[in-house]
Amino acid sequence: MGTNEQPTLILKDIHKSFGKNKVLNGISIEVNKGELVTFVGPSGCGKTTLLRIIGGFTEHDSGEVILDGRSIGHLPPNLRDTRICFQNYALFPHLTVGENLAYGLKVKKWDKKKIRERVDELLTLVQLEGFKDRMIDKMSGGQQQRVAFARALAFSPKVLLLDEPISNLDANLRVLMRDEIRRLQTELSITTVFVTHDQYEAMAISDKIVVLSDGYIQQVGSPIEIYDHPVNEFIASFVGYVNFLPAKIDSIIKETDAAVVSTEYGKLEIDIEQTEFAPGTEVLLVIRPETLKIAPSNGTVTTQNVVQGTLRRYIYSGALAKCHVVLGNDKEVIVDIQDPRDHVPLRENEKVDVTVSRNVHVLKKRA
Amino acid sequence: MAATATLYHAQLTGWERIKEFFNAKFINILALSLFLLLAVFLLFPIFAVLVKSFQGPEGFTLAHYENFFTHAYFFQSLYNTLLLGLINTIICVGVGFCFAYMTTRGPMALRKPLKIVAMIPLIAPPYLFALSLIILFGRVGLITKTFGVNWEIYGFDGVVIAQTLAFIPLAFLMLENNIKSLNPNLEESAYDMGATEGTIIRTITLPLLAPGLLKAALLVFVMTIAEFGNAAVLGGRVPFLAPDTYTMIVGEADFSMGSVLSVMLIMPCIMIFIAHNYLLKGKKFTTIEGKPIASEPRKMSPFVKVPFITVTFLFGFTIFICFAVVILAAFVNILGVRNEFVMRHIMDFRSNMAIWNSIRVSFIAALVGGIIGTLLSYVIVRGKFVGRNLIEMISLSGFALPGTVIGVGYLIAFASPPMKLTGGIMILALNCVFRFLAVGVEAGITKLHQINIEIEEASWDMGATFFTTFRRIVLPIMFPAFIAGFIYTFMTAMVSLSAIVFLVSPGYELAAVTIFDAAAYGKIGLASATTLKMIMVVILCMIVLNLLTKFTNLDIERKGGAA
Ligand SMILES: Nc1ncnc2c1ncn2[C@@H]1O[C@H](COP(=O)(O)OP(=O)(O)O)[C@@H](O)[C@H]1O
Ligand SMILES: [Mg+2]
Repeated sequence: MGTNEQPTLILKDIHKSFGKNKVLNGISIEVNKGELVTFVGPSGCGKTTLLRIIGGFTEHDSGEVILDGRSIGHLPPNLRDTRICFQNYALFPHLTVGENLAYGLKVKKWDKKKIRERVDELLTLVQLEGFKDRMIDKMSGGQQQRVAFARALAFSPKVLLLDEPISNLDANLRVLMRDEIRRLQTELSITTVFVTHDQYEAMAISDKIVVLSDGYIQQVGSPIEIYDHPVNEFIASFVGYVNFLPAKIDSIIKETDAAVVSTEYGKLEIDIEQTEFAPGTEVLLVIRPETLKIAPSNGTVTTQNVVQGTLRRYIYSGALAKCHVVLGNDKEVIVDIQDPRDHVPLRENEKVDVTVSRNVHVLKKRA
Repeated sequence: MAATATLYHAQLTGWERIKEFFNAKFINILALSLFLLLAVFLLFPIFAVLVKSFQGPEGFTLAHYENFFTHAYFFQSLYNTLLLGLINTIICVGVGFCFAYMTTRGPMALRKPLKIVAMIPLIAPPYLFALSLIILFGRVGLITKTFGVNWEIYGFDGVVIAQTLAFIPLAFLMLENNIKSLNPNLEESAYDMGATEGTIIRTITLPLLAPGLLKAALLVFVMTIAEFGNAAVLGGRVPFLAPDTYTMIVGEADFSMGSVLSVMLIMPCIMIFIAHNYLLKGKKFTTIEGKPIASEPRKMSPFVKVPFITVTFLFGFTIFICFAVVILAAFVNILGVRNEFVMRHIMDFRSNMAIWNSIRVSFIAALVGGIIGTLLSYVIVRGKFVGRNLIEMISLSGFALPGTVIGVGYLIAFASPPMKLTGGIMILALNCVFRFLAVGVEAGITKLHQINIEIEEASWDMGATFFTTFRRIVLPIMFPAFIAGFIYTFMTAMVSLSAIVFLVSPGYELAAVTIFDAAAYGKIGLASATTLKMIMVVILCMIVLNLLTKFTNLDIERKGGAA
C-alpha cells in the first residue's frame, strides 16, 4: 500500500436543508482507509443527517459523496458498500440474534453453511456465543448494542457508520463498549465514521475529530490538536474546561520563540510558535486548569509568570481538587491539583500564587 | 375551632347527611348506576335474544336450532355470511395495506390524496356502495345499458364489492396507525444490508405488522358479516344472515327463528373477541426507544410501486366514481332513463322529514352517549372497585356487536311493560348510545391518563368537596373527550341502519331506513338524494368538530396561560 493512497470516503461540500432549516452548510472531509473519524457536535447539529446522507437514506441538496473514488450520491442504500448502525440499533424484534446477523447474508444469497459459519464468527467476535437463538427483547441494552455492531460487520463494509452507538448505555458500560468498538475497529481495520455528542467519547476513540456546529465544520484534527490547539473559543471550551485570559502582546523574543504579554494581573512570558502575532496584538490566552500551579502566597511576587489571587473555593474530589481563584476584582480562574493529598495545604479566602506555564495556547482576539 | 367543628357536625340536618354520604361515595354510586345502565341496555337485550332462541311454547327447547341446522336454506345463509366475511377481510386488509403503505412510505405527493380517498367512505353510510353499484350495474344501470353488459350486480359478487369498498377505510385506518408506529430505521437497516423493497416488505414490514394485520382482519370480519344494508339491497335471492333475520322478524314475525339467526350471527363475533384477546396477548414487539423519526420518502422500487399504485388508484377511482354517481343521481329524474335535471328528489318532503328525524335521534343519542361515555371513562380510570376491567370491556364491546342482533334484542327486551320503549323515539336513540359508546370512552380514558390525578387532589386539599371538584375541575378537562364521543355518536347514529331498521315505527321514519326502502324499491333518485343530504349533515358535523376542538384547545391554553 502506497502512502499516497486515496481516501476511502470523501465528502465534498455537502449541503442539506429541511425546508427553511439549513442543517448542513458545506461539509467537506476525507476519511482514510482504516481510520476512525468522529463527528462531534451538540444535539441537533446535523450529525445523524450527515450519516444518513452517506448511507443513502437522505438526499443531499448539493455536493458529492465519493466512496473508493466512485461517486455514490445517486445509489440507493442497498447498492452502497456502507453499513449503518442506527442510534436505536434497529434490531429486528421478530427475529433471533442469529437471524438478525444472518439477514444481510441471506439477502445476498450466501449459502446456508457459509451463513452459519459467518454468524458463529460474528458472535465470537462480540463475545455473544450461546445467544444465537435468543429473541432480541430478551437481550440487555449492552448485548443489543453488540448484536447491532456485529450485524453491521457481517460482510466487512467499506465504511461503517455508527450513529451514537453507545449513548443508550449507562456510564460504565459506555466506557467498556467504547474501548471494545475501538479495539475491533483497529483489529479489523474498518474505515469508520463515528458520531457522538460526547466530547470525551470523541477524544478517547478517534484518529480524527471533526467538530460540527450550526452545520459548519469548526475544526478537524487529532484529539491532541483539538485539545491543545483549538482554533476558536467554541472548540476550546467544547472539550473540558478552559480559563480564558485576555492579554496584549508586548514584545516578541525571536531567539527563544517566546513573547512577553501583559494581562490585567501581571506580565507573563510564554512560548509562541505562531509568527502572526505582532507586538500590540490583542489576544486570548487559553489556559487549561491542569496547567496552572497553585501555592500559598507570601505576599510578594518574585518568580516569573506568577499572578496573585484569592482562593475562593476548594473542591476536593479524590483524584482531583478544583480551586476557584479570583484574580483582581472578579476574574475567576480554575486551577486543578492532581493528587491533592501530596499538595501543600491551602485555605479558602487566603492569598495564593498562581503559576502560569509558558506553554499556553494563544487565540487572536476577535473583534 | 375544634369545638365549632363538632358543633357543626352535631347540627347536620338529614339532608346534609345525605349530601355528605354522596360526596364520600360518589364515584362508587356513579359506577354502579353506569353498570346498571350497561346491563339493562347492552347485556339484557342480548341475553333476551339468547333466551328467546331456546324458548318454546312449553319452556326450554332446542327445536329452533334443530330447525336451523336441518334446513339447507339457513345453512346456506350461514355459509354465505362466513364466506362473505372471509373474502371481504382478505381484500380489505390487502387493499388497506396498499393504501397505508403508500400514505406512509410512498411518494410525498401521493400521500395526502390517497389518504383522503381511503377515508372518504367514512363520511357516508356503508350502503352508499349498494346504491352506486345499482346505479352503475343495476338492471337499467349506466354501464349495463351503455355497454350492454349481461352481468347483474344483484347477488354474491355485488355484495362482496359493495362491502369491500365500504370497509377499506376501517382496515386502512388501523393499518396506517400501525405502520406509523413502526420504527422506520428497521426497514432502513434491511435496505442498508442490501434488501430490495419487495424483500423488506416481505421479511420486515409485514411480519412486524402481523399483530396489527390480525387485529384489522378480525374487526373487518366482524363488521362485514354484521353489516345489513349492502346484503339486503344487493343480495337478491342469495341468503345472508343479517337480512334473513330482518325477513324473519319483520316479514314473518317469527321471533324464535329470528333469535336463532341472531345467535348464529353473534357467535363468530364472540369467538373472534376471545381469539383476539388470546392471540394478541404479549404479541407486541418492543424495540429500543429512539426519538420518533418521520419516515423520509424513499425511491420506491418499480416492482412495488407499480402494483401498489395500480391497486390504490383502481380502488380510489372506484370509490370516487361511486360517490360521483350518487351525487349525480340525486339531481336527475331517473338516471339513464329520463336524464333531466330535477330538484324533486332533494326537495322530497318525506326524505326531508326523515333527515330531520335522524338529526333529532342522533342528537339525543350523541348527548346521552357523550355524557355516559365521559362518566364511564372517569369511573374506569379513577375508580378503585373490582370489576373496573369488566365495565371497560363491556362498554368497548358495543361497537363490535352486530347491529342486527342489538335491534332484535331491543325489540324483544323492550316490547312490554315495565320497560316498554318500542314505538317511540327513545328506543332509536338508546340503542345508538350503547352501541357507539366505545369512542367516547376511549377518548375519555386517554384524556384522563394525560391529566395528573394531583390536580384533583389539589382541589380537595383546598377544601372542595368531591362533587365540586368533579364539576369544577374534572368536567371542564374532560370536555374535549365529551365532544369526541358526542360527534362520533352523532355521525354513526346518522348513518346506522342495521339495528334501527327493526325499531322504527310509523311517524319516526329515519333517513337510513328511507334510503334502504327507496333503494330496495328502485327509487334511486330518492335514495341518492337522501344519502347526499345525510353526507352533508355528517360533513357539517365534522366541520363543527374541528372548530370546537380548535376553540376548546385555545380556550384551555388561554386559561392555562393566565393561571
Ligand atoms: N426528516 C427530517 N425532516 C425535517 N427536519 C429534519 C429531518 N431530519 C432531521 N431534521 C432536522 O435537522 C436537524 C438536525 O437533525 P439531526 O441530524 O438528527 O441532528 P443530530 O443527529 O446532530 O442530533 C434538526 O433540526 C432536525 O429537526
Ligand atoms: Mg442524531
